[in-house]
Amino acid sequence: MTAADRPPGRVLEVTGLRKYFPIRQGFLRKVAGQVRAVDDVSFYVDRGETLALVGESGCGKTTTSRCILRAISPTEGQIVFHTDMGRVVDIARLSKHRLRPLRRQMQMIFQDPFSSLNPRKTLLDIVGEPLLVNGMKNRRDRVDRVSELLRLVGMRPEYMRRFPHAFSGGQRQRVGIARALALNPSLIVADEPVSALDVSVQAQILNLMLDLQAQLGLTYLFVAHDLSVVKHVSDRVAVMYVGQIVEMAPTVPLFTTPKHPYTEALLSAVPKPDPRLRVKRIVLEGEVADPAHPPSGCYFHPRCPYAVPVCRVERPKLEAVAPGHFVSCHRARELSLKGVE
Amino acid sequence: MVAHEPPILEVRDLRTYFFPDEGTVKAVDGVSFEVFAGRTLGIVGESGCGKSVTAKSILRIVERPGRIVGGEIHLRAPAGNGRAATVDLVKLDPSGAEIRGIRGGDIGLVFQEPMTSFSPVHTVGNQMEETIRLHTRVEKAAARERAIEMLRLVGIPKPERRIDEYAFQLSGGLRQRAMIAVALSCHPRILIADEPTTALDVTTQAQILDLLRSLQAQERMAIVLITHNLGVVAEMCDEVVVMYLGRVVERGSVDAIFHAPKHPYTRALLRSIPSIRAAVRTKLPTIAGSIPHPYNRPSGCPFHPRCPERIPGVCDLSEPGPRVVGDGQAASCFLYEESR
Repeated sequence: MTAADRPPGRVLEVTGLRKYFPIRQGFLRKVAGQVRAVDDVSFYVDRGETLALVGESGCGKTTTSRCILRAISPTEGQIVFHTDMGRVVDIARLSKHRLRPLRRQMQMIFQDPFSSLNPRKTLLDIVGEPLLVNGMKNRRDRVDRVSELLRLVGMRPEYMRRFPHAFSGGQRQRVGIARALALNPSLIVADEPVSALDVSVQAQILNLMLDLQAQLGLTYLFVAHDLSVVKHVSDRVAVMYVGQIVEMAPTVPLFTTPKHPYTEALLSAVPKPDPRLRVKRIVLEGEVADPAHPPSGCYFHPRCPYAVPVCRVERPKLEAVAPGHFVSCHRARELSLKGVE
Repeated sequence: MVAHEPPILEVRDLRTYFFPDEGTVKAVDGVSFEVFAGRTLGIVGESGCGKSVTAKSILRIVERPGRIVGGEIHLRAPAGNGRAATVDLVKLDPSGAEIRGIRGGDIGLVFQEPMTSFSPVHTVGNQMEETIRLHTRVEKAAARERAIEMLRLVGIPKPERRIDEYAFQLSGGLRQRAMIAVALSCHPRILIADEPTTALDVTTQAQILDLLRSLQAQERMAIVLITHNLGVVAEMCDEVVVMYLGRVVERGSVDAIFHAPKHPYTRALLRSIPSIRAAVRTKLPTIAGSIPHPYNRPSGCPFHPRCPERIPGVCDLSEPGPRVVGDGQAASCFLYEESR
């Protein structure tokens, strides 16, 4: 079964996801507080689409993706996964044992192509490993499948006997993608897949991801900090700030008519590669809030240029302002914010 | 390039090679550019193009087995009594008194990694006072006063308290500000910033770039900005030098580089960057292949194996020199052979 044959609809529904890390202090390692890395996050991903999770470092985007893969267990919330067979399971509660058969349906593409491939293994072993683990015991079959996968990501199958050190960063990232595709996963989580690559190579990998999605009907959860990269690959974007989603919308409205002041500031801060466009940027005052001691009310209010008294006391809810466009801001409907054309 | 006055720093045909056991790596191979007071020069390129080694060569801090094997780096002394003397930094003893006075004195340096550039066992203030007292004869108390003043200048809140903190107690943005404060504490005439914002988030990056711009306006400092981020270059620089495999492939004003690029590498690089203004879900034009390994340097023009406009029998045999292709713009490419 290839991904394209799967029924359309939801792949993933995350509701009220929370992940708190305890802060331990003193000789007895007593819990002195909590870091609210992910603090009430809800979203969904449809089959065949790309949802991007963007935000600055420490906003919880990676923790969210790791909870979804159950690399770590969430503190609270539901992660509903629609399996290939049409079953609906809450991954957040499954035991390790019951989770195992589901793992093959969720794969990951890592950020650093240098540390994510075992230097002692050949490409055949690296890409063939998930096949072997999942029951493809016949070596001939594995060689065939690995050749097919390498060809798919634009590498010559003859290279499969070589070791990772023989390849450049871009080629290694292709190997990482081939490994993620080996088991025909329903969902691919890509955590900053191009941020460690050179500019001229980034474009190759982004194009490859777009091609593979069109060809195989893949579903991506794309975690990134670079809004320019996100714009090239996503159908929808969720912007995170201090463990929460502050805005989520289809890509075009999010970039052209942002509704959250933080999104506006983020868009404005991205340097535009054109010297004729040197405009006054919105420069946010201060620093990102500490997730161990978040501010009262809206977490963004101390830095928000549009804050009013209510922002200090009441935490806004994520609400729809247009079909598919969700914002968590008290003033979302009255503000007219600037995006990029 | 509008040169109202002589450049304060002039690099001519700089060559810095590394000699590891496996062979020779020509990290910087014939690089020339000028730096003017109050202006920003951008040095752009991908990894391995030699941009950081160029910066280290200027300050004479190239690590072994690297060595400057040729070229000149002229630093113009401050214009006193009408005569402007120049020093050739290449000729100085890398551990001598003169270069130590220039390092951190005339030329300040901001590194990419603010975490690893600070000592973890000394407070920020300690390290700043040391720098100040190395270059100016002041009392400890006066040095501390000046350090606090610098921290305030770069926008660190409560500097009189922050000065006694260690680097690990500061956030990434504050640490980079402190790094800039150290570099600026002796009022350098030239600030070399090697990827100053690469490790930072976009909103912090915007703060740091604004800070550099306003400090430059106040002190008429020259900035050499080394980066791979073309967006940062477009926003900050007056002149741009584009490097590929240790060579300058094109140089010109920022407007010429972005709106009339001549070298095929510059053009390809500009086309291939993801832009926030692009249409949603569009494929990007790419540059074929990848950057060659330093031991595997192609013959002829270093870019020819990846170049869509290469001329067979020409580009793979000899190396092109810089050719004037516009007002203050030069490209090292055989395409412009006849337009000399």
